[in-house]
Amino acid sequence: MLNYDLYPWQHNDWAQLMRDPARLPHALLLTGEPGIGKRRFAERLAAWYLCEDPAKTDAPCGVCEGCRWLAQGNHPDYRVLAPGDEPEEDAEDSKAKKKSAIIGVDDVRDLADFVNLSAHRQGARVTVVYPAEAMNVASANAFLKTLEEPPAGAQFILVAHAARRLLPTIRSRCRVLPLATPDLASASAWLAQHGVVQPELHLAHTGGAPLAALDDASAEWLPLRNSVLEQISMPGSLNPLALAAEIEKSKVEPARVIDWLQKWTHDLVGLGLTGRIRYYPDRKEMLAKLANRAPRMLKYVERLQQAQRLAQHPLNVRLVFEALLFDYLAALRGKLTG
Amino acid sequence: MAYQVLARKWRPRTFAQLVGQEHVIKALANAFANGRLHHAWLLTGTRGVGKTTIARIMAKSLNCETGVTAEPCGVCAACTQIDAGRFVDLLEIDAASNTGIDNIREVLDNAQYAPTAGRFKVYIIDEVHMLSKSAFNAMLKTLEEPPGHVKFILATTDPQKVPITVLSRCLQFSLRQMTPQQVSGHLNHVLEAEQIPFEPSALALLGHAANGSMRDALSLLDQAIAYGGGDVREEGVRAMLGAVDQSYLFDVLRALVANDGVAMMAAADSIAARGLSYESALHELAHLLHQISMAQVVPAALADDLPQRADILAIAEAISAEETQLYYQIAIHGRRDLALAPDEYAGFSMTLMRMLAFAPVGGAQLAAMPASGGSAASRPAPAAIAAPAPVPIAVETPVAAPTPTAAPVPAPVAAPVAAPAPAPAPAPAIEPEDPNDLPPWESLSTEPPAHVTIARSTPSEPVANNHVEVTVNVTGAEIPAVTVQIEPAAAMAPRLEDFSGDWRALLDSMKIGAALMLAHQAELTSWNNGVFVLRVNNANKSIATRDFQDKLREALSRHFGQDIEVSAQLIEEEIHHTPAAIMQRERAVRQAQAEDAIQNDPFVQSLVQDFGAIVVPGTIQPV
Repeated sequence: MLNYDLYPWQHNDWAQLMRDPARLPHALLLTGEPGIGKRRFAERLAAWYLCEDPAKTDAPCGVCEGCRWLAQGNHPDYRVLAPGDEPEEDAEDSKAKKKSAIIGVDDVRDLADFVNLSAHRQGARVTVVYPAEAMNVASANAFLKTLEEPPAGAQFILVAHAARRLLPTIRSRCRVLPLATPDLASASAWLAQHGVVQPELHLAHTGGAPLAALDDASAEWLPLRNSVLEQISMPGSLNPLALAAEIEKSKVEPARVIDWLQKWTHDLVGLGLTGRIRYYPDRKEMLAKLANRAPRMLKYVERLQQAQRLAQHPLNVRLVFEALLFDYLAALRGKLTG
Repeated sequence: MAYQVLARKWRPRTFAQLVGQEHVIKALANAFANGRLHHAWLLTGTRGVGKTTIARIMAKSLNCETGVTAEPCGVCAACTQIDAGRFVDLLEIDAASNTGIDNIREVLDNAQYAPTAGRFKVYIIDEVHMLSKSAFNAMLKTLEEPPGHVKFILATTDPQKVPITVLSRCLQFSLRQMTPQQVSGHLNHVLEAEQIPFEPSALALLGHAANGSMRDALSLLDQAIAYGGGDVREEGVRAMLGAVDQSYLFDVLRALVANDGVAMMAAADSIAARGLSYESALHELAHLLHQISMAQVVPAALADDLPQRADILAIAEAISAEETQLYYQIAIHGRRDLALAPDEYAGFSMTLMRMLAFAPVGGAQLAAMPASGGSAASRPAPAAIAAPAPVPIAVETPVAAPTPTAAPVPAPVAAPVAAPAPAPAPAPAIEPEDPNDLPPWESLSTEPPAHVTIARSTPSEPVANNHVEVTVNVTGAEIPAVTVQIEPAAAMAPRLEDFSGDWRALLDSMKIGAALMLAHQAELTSWNNGVFVLRVNNANKSIATRDFQDKLREALSRHFGQDIEVSAQLIEEEIHHTPAAIMQRERAVRQAQAEDAIQNDPFVQSLVQDFGAIVVPGTIQPV
């Protein structure tokens, strides 16, 4: 069951998009920080395209046949291109197959059949690609020709957290619509409505993205993050081997843990050089103890960026974090070498 | 009919409608007019410069019913069908979806049959760089000698990925990026035809933002029309692009110069508060630093009518050339790494903080920079010393030496010339004025390059002045006066007369190689007239062979730049003044001190007394 209501901070963007529905492009690229509701925006737009109410204005009616099919999740003219869609989910048989983090080239090629055949219903055939940067080089290239000149009625909605990582040839074929990150007040008001106790704090953890903050308030990896931050804030007693084992055991995706480390280091450097904390205001005391080492940590920032670049690769999680944590200690001592 | 985006609607249908790419069009038009038709073309260039468009127009030119022409009529059946994308003899293949060898074989199997409707069977293979290796190889034979009725047009953004065997079979045209003027001119044309009101200054902004790609420009224009509600205004476009007003960046730089982190982050926040894009902020910052660097190196090149000229000059005064280079590097790297930061704000602020952390960097500290952060800035320095290419100017100029002492200067002519190029190389940092204060990399290159030896050994009289400045005025040229600094002797080749007899210091300062062992075990007794007399203990005679003596002699000759004789005497008695013996004594003293320090340390003592600890002998090492 899909929900098409906009988040309160999205009304402006939607209104702007709907100002001139006749001019909507066949390929729209929605960009913005993760966790601000891009996906729902994309789904609403898809619903709007597929809505069959002749009197529709700027919102899907929700009662016509098209809307109901979509709501049931089986509209024949609606496709979602997302990573790990393969039907082999019944992964009990062999080693619990990891969800693939990329959109494969076969998925994109299959799309050609969907786009080039005529529609089941009225004519609009909508494809949502989420997230667009999950396409690897091969699939992104295979997408180019389809994206550039699709037959009439085919609509593409691409959603990207980091549009810069997309191929320039993809970006150049789309009209970009940057979605705004809500301001602190409206985001925390929304969070408070949803029963979050300390909205400001969780917003800080996620850099201001409300949905991510909602997730942040109740995610099951919270204990792990607390434990990781707790331990790295006391480098004297940090045992990299044990912590890396803990991270591996928890099965949290490495990119997320690296993200915590990046934010932590950012705060450390920020506090040391400019006296500012962005992500972890609740750990100010710990940060302050280490802040005098800030200049040394700049090298570690680069180290983390390298790690983030490789985060989607099938590396041994434990080894990755052992290396990262040892480097963290070395960096604090000023002995991290290039 | 659904709305078509401008980039599709305005895809040119004839060569005349194309913007730019005259060099390609002219070549093609002449080929079509003279009937000199190649059978395979390769079109390359970045996104949105017209590769696919030109390929389609070529297909029309080849198949137009009016004959092979550079100006397809656009009304005949062939032209209209090609425009509509349903001409049977035009096969447009998406190589990125049909990458495999089987796909290509299937296509090529049909090449032998004559065209159905047109004159030629035209294969447009787009995104050709994605073909697999075997698919490329499967194409080779057909591509080399296709049947007379087959034409291939390949298009790609990435010709590096195309095998050389394919490249050599094609006529390659590389399409240029459009200039901002061309882009905004075309946008002007489009908007007039679409009857959309606009401001010319907005188009100039879009032209720059498109980065040389017409499709980017038209996509942006679409976005701008939607943003402005059917109206293209400069203000709206500026807001849409997140273009950064340079005054914010000057705030950032001024805070950086003042080393004021709080003020710098405040400036960064004001960028954030205005909803400007961090990427374009970093881009603009790099651009600004480039201008500052230009103001430092070639002040004349800075345009007089630059709006922020005074600000740029002020900052150019306040920071050194190396710092500018360093900041520039950091800004460039920061932009690249923006996608890897937790979010864009973090990436941006981290880049600024990195600049701040490295702000008070002196020449010697450059070596301690992290590998990718600032090494590119410091790298020119060692290179300039280790490989000083003799600059032709210095050789051919009749040296009108400015100082009388340097009158007999045949030597410096071939000597290593560290010529500060007009490029913004951080030259000042590399002048080794004081040999004791050399940066770490200096020790690697104290030995002068080989060709110095030749020059040095010939003159009977050593050059007295070891820092010669020759100013060469290139007459009649706009090139500013080139200052050539010749410093072969500065700290590089010490003279024999100055040698004080400190054998060990001498060894430390030169590069000896295989004879080092001999040198360390020898004691210098005299060094008159270029003859070094050494004493070596008989126990070490295996390292005092003729071979090693020759090597030592060569090393010394090279070091002093004149012929040196070495004579080694083997003696029975102990020698106490060899460098090796001295070093061993020093080590022993240090070891004793270290052990002493440990034994007398109150903490260690209390450990020994209270816990029965023992200091394991032989584990104490002096630091």
